[in-house]
Amino acid sequence: MRPLKDTEKLIKKSHIKAGSDLHQRTINDALQAQAESNKKNSALLQPNIWRIIMKSPITKLVTAAVVIIACVIGLSLWRTTGSGIALADVLARIEQVKAFRSQWSDQWNEDPNKPYSFYYETRGTFLQSQEYGIKSKIEQLDPNGGESTFKEVYRSPDRKTLIVITPKQKKYWRVEFDDSWSEQLQEQGQERDPRAFLKRILKYKYESLGRATIDGIEVEGFQTTDPNYLDNDPNSQVDVKMWVDVKTRLPVRYEEACAWFDQMRDKIIKRAHFVMHDFQWDVPVDAAEFEPPVIPDDYTGTVVKWPAINEENAIQGLKQCLEFFGKYPESITECGVFLFKRLAGSDLALRSVEKSETPAAMRLKEELKGLSEDDKVTRLSDATTPIRSLARFYFEHEWDKKDPAYYGKTVTPKDADKVLMRWKVSDNDYRVIYGDLHAETVTPEKLAELEKLLPK
Amino acid sequence: MNDKFLIWQFKRGSSKALCRIYVKYEDIMLTMAVSLLNDVNAAEDVVHDVFVSFAQSAAKISPNGNLRGYLTTCVANLARDRIRAQHWQEKVGLDDTESICLKSNGPLQTLIDDEQFRQLNCAMAKLPYEQREVVTLHLQAGMTFEAIALSQDISINTIQSRYRYGIEKLRSFLDGEVEK
Repeated sequence: MRPLKDTEKLIKKSHIKAGSDLHQRTINDALQAQAESNKKNSALLQPNIWRIIMKSPITKLVTAAVVIIACVIGLSLWRTTGSGIALADVLARIEQVKAFRSQWSDQWNEDPNKPYSFYYETRGTFLQSQEYGIKSKIEQLDPNGGESTFKEVYRSPDRKTLIVITPKQKKYWRVEFDDSWSEQLQEQGQERDPRAFLKRILKYKYESLGRATIDGIEVEGFQTTDPNYLDNDPNSQVDVKMWVDVKTRLPVRYEEACAWFDQMRDKIIKRAHFVMHDFQWDVPVDAAEFEPPVIPDDYTGTVVKWPAINEENAIQGLKQCLEFFGKYPESITECGVFLFKRLAGSDLALRSVEKSETPAAMRLKEELKGLSEDDKVTRLSDATTPIRSLARFYFEHEWDKKDPAYYGKTVTPKDADKVLMRWKVSDNDYRVIYGDLHAETVTPEKLAELEKLLPK
Repeated sequence: MNDKFLIWQFKRGSSKALCRIYVKYEDIMLTMAVSLLNDVNAAEDVVHDVFVSFAQSAAKISPNGNLRGYLTTCVANLARDRIRAQHWQEKVGLDDTESICLKSNGPLQTLIDDEQFRQLNCAMAKLPYEQREVVTLHLQAGMTFEAIALSQDISINTIQSRYRYGIEKLRSFLDGEVEK
């Protein structure tokens, strides 16, 4: 059988040249479409009467005075007619709560006409204590009306350990987070914590929805539709509402509705709807409630560590690539397979190691022999922690638009003066890791010179 | 020419920039569309429709966007829609794939007469669409698995699995090892 790389090369090499007929037809139609679009847009941008008036300095002064007066009147009206609920106060109030219970539901729904549409619905209960951590029971509904899948989730109070148990499958999954991760997960609101939701709403533009009644409780609503709330994805829309009890100043209901559009922004391709409701604040809790049960002997499980994301660990990851594979990975995507906790990803990672003949890879292969599939995944995950850290480091910088680049395809450990990896640390500085793994901060100009030296 | 500069000019209504973008990406868009649809005429239509729609979208394009990624994703999305509309995937079994390999009655047929590529396209036609799409986006459009996962709102695990199964099946098809 031909090597896999040959098949990949063949596909990469395949190239079809567009004929002149298609070229001409498309160019003509595109230019016409652009001309029409430009015409429409320029009509919208015509200076209107408001802009003309505002060009006068006297009008500007008068308008400024009117705006100030209007603000003063508006402020006094707001003070006298508003509910007086400030979201920052709600946050402060929640911070004082020691424990709460709530229920939630989460629904993901793709365009049903899509060939591979995806439907996902879960619901559950949530118990959170500042002192003891989190316990959640999750029911994943079968879209075809079949039997639900149940999971129990336990998170330690220091946020460093997460245990997921699926009794029906007799499986468990234990995740160990580095400190930096536990903070980040909390900040990103990934823990379904109303505190995190409130902090995010406060970061963006929001408005009051006025008063309403929910389950017999008088509430005031707050809403944000700021696209930044949802990772600033230009192809998405978000509508977040938080309803607060006007008496207790504590949340009664949180709703997050998201929609994602196709690349042309013509139609919605996916929707998500998350609701957190039935809050019970300041409930008495017992430490025993948060204790994960003893995992029965016949359960199988995996343990995955989430390493810290920093330069030091990224360099360790590059060193480990050298040890395991004798060279730097050609792309960071290759390291990405080590991120996966599920079997498909682990299988790929395992194959990468199996193909290698370096002493470190041989030692690891020896260790993996005779282990159960779950133990293999755990051992492999453990052994390749620095590589996962490298991949996460790079992807995080890519996600944060820090202009990362990686040149493992051409740069070797002997290239002490060539850029192996770089990313932006500020507008005036880039951090560079060289082929011999020393690192320094350089200006964009210096980086441009360094990158000119890279082999094409 | 740098893509960011092209986008900047395009957003300001430059027809020259639009033409340059097309010239730069027409071949990759067509190659991809042919791989995905296995029908040169349908592929040409997809390229045409994507680019005409792109020409009207100057306001929507992000100045820092990835032009190649954007156009190839649009091609993949539209190709998927066309496939869905015609129910090709459901109708075509393994025995039928030979007959849909590079359907063409146009002059383009002569440009892709390389036997190896003909075999490749026949093999691609046999892949389930989801796997074909990932293989095409990764190897032909040069998109990372992360980017494909993001553009399709699917987990990277799924994308990697689809790729692995797809590329292995493709190798088997090309080696003639899959029994019908």
